[in-house]
Formats: sequence, C-alpha cells, structure tokens
Amino acid sequence: MDYNHIIALLERYWEGETTLEEEALLRRFFSESHPDMPEPLQEAAPLFGFFREEMEREEMLGETLSVRVEASPVAKVVALSPFRHWMKYAAVLLMAVGMGYAMKQFQRTETKARLAEVQQKKMEEETRMAYLETKKALQLLAKNLNKGTEKMQKLSYFNEATGIIAGTN
Amino acid sequence: MSLDLFLNQVVPVRQKLFRFAYRLLGNEEDAQDITQDALMKVWSQQEKMTELQNMEAWCMRITRNLALDKIKSRKYRLADELDRAGEVPASQQSPHAMAEKNDVMVKVRRVINELPEKYRTIIQLRDMDGYSYQEIADILELDMNDVKVNLHRARKSVREKLQNIQVYGL
Repeated sequence: MDYNHIIALLERYWEGETTLEEEALLRRFFSESHPDMPEPLQEAAPLFGFFREEMEREEMLGETLSVRVEASPVAKVVALSPFRHWMKYAAVLLMAVGMGYAMKQFQRTETKARLAEVQQKKMEEETRMAYLETKKALQLLAKNLNKGTEKMQKLSYFNEATGIIAGTN
Repeated sequence: MSLDLFLNQVVPVRQKLFRFAYRLLGNEEDAQDITQDALMKVWSQQEKMTELQNMEAWCMRITRNLALDKIKSRKYRLADELDRAGEVPASQQSPHAMAEKNDVMVKVRRVINELPEKYRTIIQLRDMDGYSYQEIADILELDMNDVKVNLHRARKSVREKLQNIQVYGL
C-alpha cells in the first residue's frame, strides 16, 4: 500500500491545512488495521483511535437522552372559561354583601340611639319647664296668701284693742 | 418562529448539543440538563430565529455558553479520567493487548483534556463532529482565521505530547 500519500496528508493535517474530505479520508484510513504502518503514521494512530472511540461512546450515551420534546409535539390549547374560578367570585360577592348589610345595620342602630337621646332630652326639658311653672304658681299663691295674713294681723290687732277697751270699761 | 420550525430544525440537533455539553461538563445528567436549558433558551428567543444564517451553530453557541456558566458557577470538576478508564468498550483482543490499548487511550484522553478549553473544543468540533471552519467560528464567536490558527496550535501541541508518549512513554 502506498503510504506516502497518507503521510503527506497527515503532515498537512498537523499543519491545519487539510479539508474536511481529507480529514474524513484520514479517519477512514486509521479505522482500518495496518500491521506494517510506517513510523510517521504511528504517532497519529492513537489520536484517531481516540476520536473514533469517543464518538462511539457518545453515540451510546446519546441514546438515553430523553425525548420529552418529541413526546408532546403539539400542545393542545385549552380554552378556559371565565367562570372557572366561580367560587372566588362568589366568596367576594358574599363578603361584599355581608359587609354592606353590617354597615346598614350599624347605621340603623346609630339613628335609633340618637333619636332616643333627643327624645329624652326633650322630655327632660319639658319636665324642667313644668317644674318651674309650678314653682312660680305656688310662689304667687304664697305671696297672695301672705297678703291675707297681713290684713288678718291688722284685724287681730283691732280685735285685741277692742277687747282691751271693752275689758277696761 | 413556529413550532414546526423548532421541531424540524432545532430538535434534530439535540443529540449534537447533548454531546457538546457532555464533552464540556463530563457528566451525563448535567449535560442533559444543559441540553434542555439550551432548547428552552432557543425557544424563548424564537424571534431571532428568522434572522439567523446557521441555526445549528447558534444552538451550539447557546449550549456552550450555558455549560461554561455552569462550570464557572459551581467550580465544576471534570470527571477524573481514571474514573472513565474502565468505560472503554470491551473488544475481542487479548487482555494484554486490551490493557495496552486502554493505557494508550487513557494517555491520549489526558493529552486532550490537558489542552486549554478553546483548543480542545476546536479539535473536537473539527475532528469528531466534522464542522467547517466557518461553522466553528460561528459557534465559538471567533474570526475564521483565529479558528485556523488555534486549530493549528492545538494539533501541534497534541502532536508534541503524542511524540513524547511514543518516545518516552510519558
């Protein structure tokens, strides 16, 4: 076998001047066994052997790679109903209603209390007025009664004087 | 971007993205996570898809950035090559020949792993995945000439170390 061509090719390979086709040729050459391989080629044989083995090993590894993407190529679009979470909305509504009711109840009791207070005040005022009026009337009565007492006093003096005069005569 | 475009152009490269992430992280589970994250990110940036010339390179770039972020954030430790030495597939050779071969493979793996991340990635993308210079430049966000120069340096470095192994058994 003519190794000169391969040796020249390998030399170019080390220099980084080979094309992809030439490199494929080298890989093919080193994948076959050559018992009488000349010295310059022997140094490269382990490297190409390593590339081959690595690729085989990686092929085996790659087979276990999960196929999650392929398993479900087309994801179904599921239309969601706007009332899907109806319980959420119901709960919010219930709370709003509850709060509204509570506020209304509170307002009602507040008005009632205020009304009662006003009424009580009014009644107190009326009572006070009545008391004052009565007091005034009684005072007037007392004053008039006192007036009578003065006259009776004078009458009593007169009576007494009359008695004394009659007694002494 | 429609779902069809995503399924036809992005999902088929998932395997490549996984391999790429696996090489960077050295851990199958994390590589799967990163691949899923990358697909999610691609999907979330779907408006960019129509402007892109090379969608595969863009996906690879996203995967690489996510993997590098993970390495940075967790002070990620690459799996020890000794742990993986036993994973080399069994063959029909004699135990002695097999042990020798495994030994060589462990050494080559070490040579590759010792390369700077950029060199290692360029070599893997070129020699294992067969990407063109332009595609590698797109993935790594580099100039095409930079890719060529870096590939040359990476191969030169690998060659020197392989020669050392051959001559001194290092």
